[in-house]
Order: sequence, then C-alpha cells, then structure tokens
Amino acid sequence: MKILNSIRTLFTGKRAFIWLILAGLIAGFAFIIAGKKAINYTSTDAYCISCHVHPVADESWKLSSHHDNKPGVIIHCVECHLPPEGHGMLFAKAFHGAKDVYGYYFKDSIKYNFKAKRKLEMAKKFVYTESCTKCHQNLFPKTLTTEGENAHLSFLASKTEVSCLNCHLNVGHYDPNNKHEHNTNFANSTVQNTQVYTEPTTVTTFASFTEKIPGTSVSFDMVAIPAGKFLMGSPKNEALRKPDEGPLHPVKISRFFMAKIEVSWDEYLEFFRATSSQGRKEVEENANVDAISGPTPPWGAPDQGWGKGTRPAITMTWKAANIYCKWLSKVTGKKYRLPTEAEWEYAVRGGTQTPYFFKGDPKKYTSEGFFKKIFGPDTTTINSYVVYKVNSASQTMEPSVVKANPYGLKNMAGNVSEFCSDFYSPKAYYGYKKMVVDPKGPKKGQEHVIRGGSFKSDAKDVRSAARDVTKSRVWLVTDPQMPKSVWWYSDCSDIGFRVVCEVDESIQSDKK
Amino acid sequence: MGNNDQYGLNRRKFLESTALAGLGLIGAGAAISACKNEKNARALGLPPILKAAPKGRKLRAGLVGCGNRGTGAAMNFISCGPDLHIVALADVFQDRVDSCRERFAKMKMDIQAENCFTGFDGFKKLMALADVDIVILATPPHFRPEHFKEAVLQNKHVFMEKPVAVDPVGIRSLIASAKKAEAIGLNVVTGTQRRHQQDYIETYQQVANGAIGKLVSARAFWNQNHVWFRTREEGWDDMTYMIRNWNNFCWLCGDHILDTHVHNIDVINWFLGRPPESAIGYGGRARRLTGDQYDFFSIDFDYGDGVFSHSMCRQIDNCANGTGEFIMGTKGYTNCINTIWNMDGSIKWEFKYPKDSNGNDTNKLIIPPYVQEHMHLVHAIRTGEYVNQAEQTALSTLTAIMARTAAYTGKKVTWEEIYKSDMYLGPKEMVFGPVNMQFEVPIPGTAHKA
Repeated sequence: MKILNSIRTLFTGKRAFIWLILAGLIAGFAFIIAGKKAINYTSTDAYCISCHVHPVADESWKLSSHHDNKPGVIIHCVECHLPPEGHGMLFAKAFHGAKDVYGYYFKDSIKYNFKAKRKLEMAKKFVYTESCTKCHQNLFPKTLTTEGENAHLSFLASKTEVSCLNCHLNVGHYDPNNKHEHNTNFANSTVQNTQVYTEPTTVTTFASFTEKIPGTSVSFDMVAIPAGKFLMGSPKNEALRKPDEGPLHPVKISRFFMAKIEVSWDEYLEFFRATSSQGRKEVEENANVDAISGPTPPWGAPDQGWGKGTRPAITMTWKAANIYCKWLSKVTGKKYRLPTEAEWEYAVRGGTQTPYFFKGDPKKYTSEGFFKKIFGPDTTTINSYVVYKVNSASQTMEPSVVKANPYGLKNMAGNVSEFCSDFYSPKAYYGYKKMVVDPKGPKKGQEHVIRGGSFKSDAKDVRSAARDVTKSRVWLVTDPQMPKSVWWYSDCSDIGFRVVCEVDESIQSDKK
Repeated sequence: MGNNDQYGLNRRKFLESTALAGLGLIGAGAAISACKNEKNARALGLPPILKAAPKGRKLRAGLVGCGNRGTGAAMNFISCGPDLHIVALADVFQDRVDSCRERFAKMKMDIQAENCFTGFDGFKKLMALADVDIVILATPPHFRPEHFKEAVLQNKHVFMEKPVAVDPVGIRSLIASAKKAEAIGLNVVTGTQRRHQQDYIETYQQVANGAIGKLVSARAFWNQNHVWFRTREEGWDDMTYMIRNWNNFCWLCGDHILDTHVHNIDVINWFLGRPPESAIGYGGRARRLTGDQYDFFSIDFDYGDGVFSHSMCRQIDNCANGTGEFIMGTKGYTNCINTIWNMDGSIKWEFKYPKDSNGNDTNKLIIPPYVQEHMHLVHAIRTGEYVNQAEQTALSTLTAIMARTAAYTGKKVTWEEIYKSDMYLGPKEMVFGPVNMQFEVPIPGTAHKA
C-alpha cells in the first residue's frame, strides 16, 4: 500500500501537472520528428511522381540543365515547385497538395494539356522566384554576357513584374524547340516556290479581289466592305459588357477593303525578308525615303513553335504592323493601313447588332463562374466561328478551321487580338452624340486599341463590341535589350493584325 | 536575447508540425529590436579615417593610363603605406609610358621593361600578369568600363578614377562588373575623393543624424577657368589627336560636367541618399577652341518629394568662380564640407581641422584625400573589411550623363530613360588612323549626334 500510495502521489496534485507537461513534451517531440519525416517523405521525387503521372515532364526534367549538368547536381521537384522554407513553404505545399489530390481523383491525367502547362503564365503559378534565387544567389557570375548583364540589371530594377521564368522558362524541363537567343535564321525560307508574281493586282471595280505581293509567291484575299451605318458599342443591357463599350452611338463608315484573314506568317515573312535590319536604330520615318527599315531579328521564336504558313503572324509591335502596311503600300501601289476601331467593329458585325455576329448569349458561352467550372460552358455555334480559350489548346489556329462572318471575314473574333490605328481611351465614345463619320479615335494617347480577343480569351471577350488595349510595358518586360525592341514584343503571344485597303477615288460606284 | 531565440525556434518547429497535422497556423514574425541610437560611421557605410594603410602582405599594382593623373595616382598609392609597389605600366602612347617610368626610376623604383605595354591592348597584357594584385585605372573615362571588366575577369583589385564611363552603355557594363567584383570579393575604390575626406565624412555624419532636419533643397557648383587643350601637331592622325586632346572630346571625356562636376553631383547624391528622378538643363559653348564640348551647364535636378538641386559648372576665365556644395534642411543648412548653420545663420557645428606644428589653426587635413583613398583600398585588402564604390560612382556619373543629355538636347531626361538608353559614344573600333566621324557641337532642340 505504501508503495502504491507513493506511486499515486507521483501522479496527483502538483506532480500530476509536471507529468502532463512531460507527456505533452514527448508528444510534441514525436510530432516534430514525425512531421519533419512526413514533410521529407512527401517531398521526394518518388513521392511526387507517384501521383503526377506525366512521363513527358519526367523525361524533359532529366534532359534539362537541372538534372543533366556537368557537376552532376540533381535539382528535385520540390526545389523549384515549392518555395523555400520561410517563404510560405507549408502553405504552398498544402495548397498544391489539395489541388493535386483533387486532380488525381477527379481528373484524367491523359487529358491534361502539358504543352499549355509549360507556358509562362501557367509555369509562374507553380515555380517560385525565391526557389530560384535560393540556389542562384549570384546573378552576376564572371562569365555573364552583356545581354545577361542588362537582363539581370533590369530584373533587379523591376523584381515585381519579372520572374526568372520570363527568360529561363525551360531550364527545369528541356524543350528542344525553344532557344534563348537572337533567331538569325528566322524567315530563311527553304521552300522553292514555283510562281513569283511580278505585278500587284489591278483593282478597277469595288469588289473583293486577291492581292499579289510582287517579287514573291504570296497572295491574300481582300473583301469589299460596302459603306453603311451602324450602332457602335454595346447596349447597356448586353450581358457581360464593360463600361468602355458605351455609350452606344451611330457611326457612318465609308467603303473599304479588308483582308479576309489576319496577316499570316507567309505574308509577314516576305516583309521581314525584304526589310529586316541588323541595326536597331529607327530610321527617320520619312515617306520620301525610299528604303523602309524593317524589323531586327527576333528574340527566340516569335511563332512560339506553332508553325507559320497561314497562321496569323504574332508578337510584332504596333509600330512594326504599321511599317508593314507602309511596305505593303509601297510594293503594291495601293493604300494599305491598319483599320480604325470603327471600321473594325463595322466589319465584325457584318450588319448584326447582337453580341456576336452569330447566334448566342455571352452568359451561356462564358466559362467564368462557379457552375460553369463544374458543368462546362455551352459551345454550340461559337465553336465553329471562333478560336478562343475553350477550343484553342492555347495556341493560334489556321483560318481554315473556322467559318466566316456575314462579310466573309475569318477570325475577326478570336485567334489573335488585332491592332487598330486608334489610341485607346476608356471614354473614347463619350464625345459622340450625333452621327459620326469615319471616326479615328482620340487625338492623343499612349497605348492603342486592340480588338477581337484571342485564343486565350473567354467567350465574353470575343463579343463584337469588346475592346482591349496594348500593354507596351508588360509586353516587353523580359526583352533583354536596352532599350527594348521596337519590333517584337517579348511577352505577348496573342497579338496580330489585319490590313485594310483604301478604295481609290477613281473606282466609281459600289457594285451592288 | 539567447533565451528568446531558443523559444522562438521551438515555437516555430512546433507550429510547423501542428500545421502539418491540419491545425490552423498563425505566423508570427520575429521581433527585431530596432536600434534607436545615433548611427555611427560603420552603420552609415563610411570609410575608416586612417593615418596610414595597415601593414600586411606585399601588394603590387599596375598602372593603366600613364598621364599626369595616372602617374600621380600611382605615387599616391605607393606613399599610402608599407610594402606597396608599382610593377607594371600600360598606356596607348610609348612616350607616356617612358616618362612615367623615368619618374619612378628617379625615385630608385625600377619598373621592368617587359612589364611595360603600349597600344590599345596594352591594358590586357598588363592585367594578364599574375603578380599584379591591384590595377589603377586612370585613362580617359571612355575606356574605363572595358578596362574594369577585364580587371574583374583577371581577379584584380581596382582603384579607378572618376568619371567611370561616358555613356549609359558603359555605365551598365560598369555596374554589372561591379557586381561581379563583389561576388568574388574584389575590392574597388574610386577617385571620388570627397567621400574619403574626414571633413566631408564628419559633416555627413552630422547631417545623417538629423543636424539640419529633413533635407529640402541643394545646389552644387564647379566654376573655374579654362582647362588644358592640345592643338593638333603635324603627323598626328585623327585618333592620336583626339586621345592627346581627350579632355575636349565628349566621347573620350564625357564633357566637364562629368569630368569635374561629378564630384559635386556625387556629394549631393550621397547626402540626399538617392540619384535624381529627372533633369532639365541649359548649356552652351562660347570660348572653347577645340573639340565638341560645352563651356557651361546649368541643370535643375528633380530628386522627387519636392526636393530639387541646382547644378552648375563652367570653364571660362574672368568669371565668378568657385566649387562646392550646399544643402538646405528644415532645421538648418550646410556647406557639406565642414560647417552646419542654424536657420538664423549662427554656426551650429564646425569641423575641427588639425593644428600645424606651431600650434596654429589650419583649414586643411594632414593626409590629402588623394592618398586617403588609396589607404582605404589597401586597408580593405589587408584587413578583409570589404569595400566597393564602383556602383555608387557609376550612379553619380550617370546622373551627370542625364544632365549632359538634358543640356545637349534641351529635353527633359528621366532616370529610367537614361538608365536604359543605348547611347554609346565614340568609334566602335579603336585603331590609330583616320576616324570617320563628325564631331558637331550639340544644339538644344535637336538630338545629340555623337
């Protein structure tokens, strides 16, 4: 009894408290050790790969400089795909883990579009700058090139908008098609074409025609757009509209020709070959100067490896698009230029006043919103007219995959956003009360109007009235040159343009 | 503190494991007690004031640019402490190497002939010498970025004269090289001697600790008589002439707003703690006989937050001359060099200069700043107390380039524009012979054609 009592006293009164603390401590330690082990175990490559069944990613990782390198150092999954400790590692681990569990049980990994996941916008969501700089602490090794020096100085100056990935996207997963260098072979044609046009097409009547670019074997279709009146902008009750699309106002448009498709790589490359310049200094823009100085060699692959041909040419700057028109005018003897915003909207509508030039409700087509994420959007009708987020596989398409609008124009909505000649202002329409004739937009501005949405756009942003704007600074963030290129955007892959041609006054009347 | 640290660590580990178990996590930032004491010299990044460079391992320097300033800098170097030697020379001209070598020979310091190099690539051969520890860069500033780059590639510590480049392309190269030097522990001291002067340093310390309150405006000035120039001699080709007369060509010198006024601009940047956001200015040419540069500049720098600095510099005889700086604060003002005044004009603080051997007051430091700066470099190398002034001097040089561009073009020039500009001055290739370039004097309202 005595012994029992003395044992009991060990566990009663104040002493019991000590035991409780001791037990708590042991449990705590066990927790720490087990927790640490759990973190370590769930951070091994084998553990990652046990759920992430994506042989493409494994293979490309093994070929990358983070696995296959001279010193033989292997950088593991979590070293890039989680932030380092002290930078929200556990939170990120829980977040990505939860997402992965959901994906593992509810989605089919074969259906994942890994090509799209490798793109910068996606990659930024699961690769952390802090993880890069944790190992890469010296941004100025002795071997750094002048271009690298400029790029890293600019990174230090604007850390918030540039991540390492902007330039070093493929260092973790090898991509044989993507090279980080000036692409001097760009546009070197290997195909021998049979017919070379010597003369441009002569236009004597106001009717659609096929333009031929002299000295090349490239031709493209121009559609006659008759003069007319329409209501520009969207009514207040149009679903998912934005305020900059109003007020609705009447506009009168003179006749013009508009290209059936967006300027293709075939067309743009002829311009590049004819005018490309090595120096990057702008030549004074003088109409009397015979020679037109065109783009410098681009950085990397402007076609993003998607192919050229009839796919729309992309990533050229607004200025480059204008010089293209100037060049095209010179070689064809006609007046080519970018469309005004009003001409563009008149053309896309093709006589309709509905949200789209085909039937449908933006609310039903959009993929945004909780229920849409689960049940998916309605894609009937829109699917056959527009290359947009839902059907594009995150890249441009050839014009042959879509139907034309009432005027016979293709890809006005979607595929790539198109430059207009107008400066952008959210209040551009405010001044128009009565009927305006051929408006040209605000007199002054910094950025320009872009229209039509692109392969990246949601259905609501490919509506006929939807407006957008160039973002010069953001689109040039990672251009390693100082100052940045005036010819190519380094960080925008869904911008292109379409030309219009003015109707010569000698052409008498509309052929109706 | 020790206990707290330990507590913090355990707590963090505990929280990590609980989070893993699915419990809520509330992050707690580590509290670092802020030091409210007056900032001392080290906290302000000020260099040590030394009577002499400390003893230590033998240090051998090579001189690149054997003109008057280069030879002077080399003399300053060897006089600043024990066991310091000049062992190699490089200059584009043979006669410059010879005269410099002779001066050292007269002081019984022989520099071996095989360690003397000439021509545009002489610097490369000098920097390839394994037994050169330090290079002194004292050529016309156009060449500085290229020379500094090579010095870092060859693992040399560097002393270099200001200005450190003549254009933004050079500035960016120099800043990148500065960062490379820092990464591998190469010390770099620049010839902005005011940063090494005890009187300036102590005045700065007063101002940084609030002696004149918040800084609200500034002015800086370097007005002097005309400077040297060379008339072209028979047999000199274009390149030879321009380099002999480098102080009068913008692509070599950067104009006097860089060459000399950068000292004052650097002081204002130093005291205000930042470079300006933009500049608007005037300038012109009235008396110069050679080259393509201006005689005078007047610049309004905008430092943001309502702070402006007026900068002026002139090189014309028989004018109101003087050099210096001035900064106005909310509680007083200072000449930056040795005196702080209250708002009512009474003296609040004055730097005490040492007395001479007879016990009389002086207005001079015992050790000239040209020597002090070399002591600073040797001190850093021998004690391991790292120093690298290249970037700070590059930013002040770029400030001057922004001002020069504003005056040459008549336009407002912003920091971002000039930092990213592709302006490169001078011929692309350095060879003796004819130079096919126009050297027009800049006209405001038009682009600078250099």
